[in-house]
Amino acid sequence: MTTLYVLDVPENTPMAKVAAEDPAVTVGRIGPYFEISAAGPIVIDRRATGCRHAVWYSAVGGVARDSRITQHDKNALRVEPA
Amino acid sequence: MTELDHRVQGVDHVAFPTFDPAATVRFYRDVLGFPVVHSICAAGWGPEDHPDFIHFFFDIGNGDRIAFFYYFGADPAIGGAPGEKGDVYARFGAGVPEFFVRSRHLAIHVENEDDLLEYRRRLDASDWPVEMQIQHETIESIYTHDPNGYMFEITRAMRPVTPQEDLDANLTIDALLDVVGEPEPTFGKLLARKAELIVERAAEWELARGSDR
Repeated sequence: MTTLYVLDVPENTPMAKVAAEDPAVTVGRIGPYFEISAAGPIVIDRRATGCRHAVWYSAVGGVARDSRITQHDKNALRVEPA
Repeated sequence: MTELDHRVQGVDHVAFPTFDPAATVRFYRDVLGFPVVHSICAAGWGPEDHPDFIHFFFDIGNGDRIAFFYYFGADPAIGGAPGEKGDVYARFGAGVPEFFVRSRHLAIHVENEDDLLEYRRRLDASDWPVEMQIQHETIESIYTHDPNGYMFEITRAMRPVTPQEDLDANLTIDALLDVVGEPEPTFGKLLARKAELIVERAAEWELARGSDR
């Protein structure tokens, strides 16, 4: 299982929207956070989100202990089962 | 997460030494238009070897102030070797990374983009042009170094800070304290601890918010 959390503020909402386009990914809510989860990897394309770099590099609120970030660069965020 | 009531009312003043009071006055008063609002002329103050000094203040809005000390006869070398990185208060060797040197800075708030650009215009026409203009997450800032080498920022909010950002900040700090309390803190450990705190506390926050309505 792969889970990451993204705070629901206007700059971050494209992150959740782009993540949800993958049918293997579920986007739910916990409090004011998007809970983005999947059985396997979660990949979010930066250009598809339109996020500025300052937003992109600070948008991840939390990553569950059974998951880890394997890519977070100008192209994509990739989180995989640990 | 504190029960202590919040009685403080912002910055009274932040103070730095200067070895170049003329340029400091030009920068803050003549370029930026920050009024001089107070000064103390102190002779024979403190122990015998304490230099005579002028302590002078500029208004940075809201009645808040930035202040400088000019010590008569003080050699700039007392602040460290000339030509090193940093400002006149703290100088750093060539090997100290730039991010560390720049981390200490003063940021002054303006109301909107017009005001930010007005200060950009003033600085760009001076000896201290804007070095960077950056949109961060929710703020936009201009930066320069003042005549003393102090990193100086003027910033405006692009939108108000939301209550969920305050919650997020508190979860971050609690996770940070947990992680730095253990050996070898890493960013990955912070995100993992924060994920646990989100699960523990965030849903409850939603209920608390709901009951306020």
